[in-house]
Amino acid sequence: MKTNKQTEDIRAIRDMMEKSSKFLSLNGLSIVFAGLFALLGIGYMYLYKEEYIAGYQLYPQMNTNLLLIALAILFLSAVTVSLFCLRKMKTNHIPLINKTLIRAAYNLLVPMIVGGMFGLIFFMKGDLWVTLSVTLIFYGLGLINTSKYTFREIHYLGIIEVVLGLIAAFDPLHGLVYWTLGFGFGHILWGIYLYMRYDFSKKRIS
Amino acid sequence: MPNIIAKLDKAFDSRVRLGIMSILLVNESADFNTMKNLMDLTDGNLASHLKALEGIEYIRSTKQFIGRKPNTKYTVTSLGSKAFKAHIEALDKLLK
Repeated sequence: MKTNKQTEDIRAIRDMMEKSSKFLSLNGLSIVFAGLFALLGIGYMYLYKEEYIAGYQLYPQMNTNLLLIALAILFLSAVTVSLFCLRKMKTNHIPLINKTLIRAAYNLLVPMIVGGMFGLIFFMKGDLWVTLSVTLIFYGLGLINTSKYTFREIHYLGIIEVVLGLIAAFDPLHGLVYWTLGFGFGHILWGIYLYMRYDFSKKRIS
Repeated sequence: MPNIIAKLDKAFDSRVRLGIMSILLVNESADFNTMKNLMDLTDGNLASHLKALEGIEYIRSTKQFIGRKPNTKYTVTSLGSKAFKAHIEALDKLLK
């Protein structure tokens, strides 16, 4: 009798510590969508594969086309993930501006923006292979960085992205393959896992 | 066994107070509304527990204005964090 209350107490303490310090409004399904968008975009980029392989670089007139596709995919994914987050926050009565969201977003975005600019510079110089590798590496670092402030599982996705990015630098001819694995299948797998673990059985986070 | 039970702090008998202390220990500070939303409580309920904990100096409150809205921020005192840790230890021992 007595110990039952104490077990419950301990669980309540742990629950509240986690809930108050982490951003848990991420929805696994939205990450799956992000992965699917990435696959679509990368599929389109494959059309330019021949030119890319010829001399490791793109013809100038192709640049804007590829860049627009990549940015559109990034934007679409970000909007989808945000909308799913907003919905979950609304049902759980979590205010839009809250410390956990700001902390998680900051830790993800700083490496992403730095890496994005770094990649963009090389892209404009025509070295697409550097961009393919660097975006994976910095995105992975961002995930590792932010995993302390959201679902812990993100950490391992981050490690995989970094490793894929390094391999992509080593094997520049197949950069898009590593993008497909990292941004496409990585997100789909992790999204399904997070969805099954946290959203499918809704009891864990109410 | 009885002396372990004696170590359980009476101030933490309520689940709400445990929640308040947990939140304040992992976040250096938290405001009233954040705690209210996290624990899904009414204003009055949370306020009375906060007042009790403040009365025995386990937590401290600072009032400030964000824009025009008054905002009360709470932090845990060193006395409170010591007491809470002792309480968790006692709970742990009791379960073993």
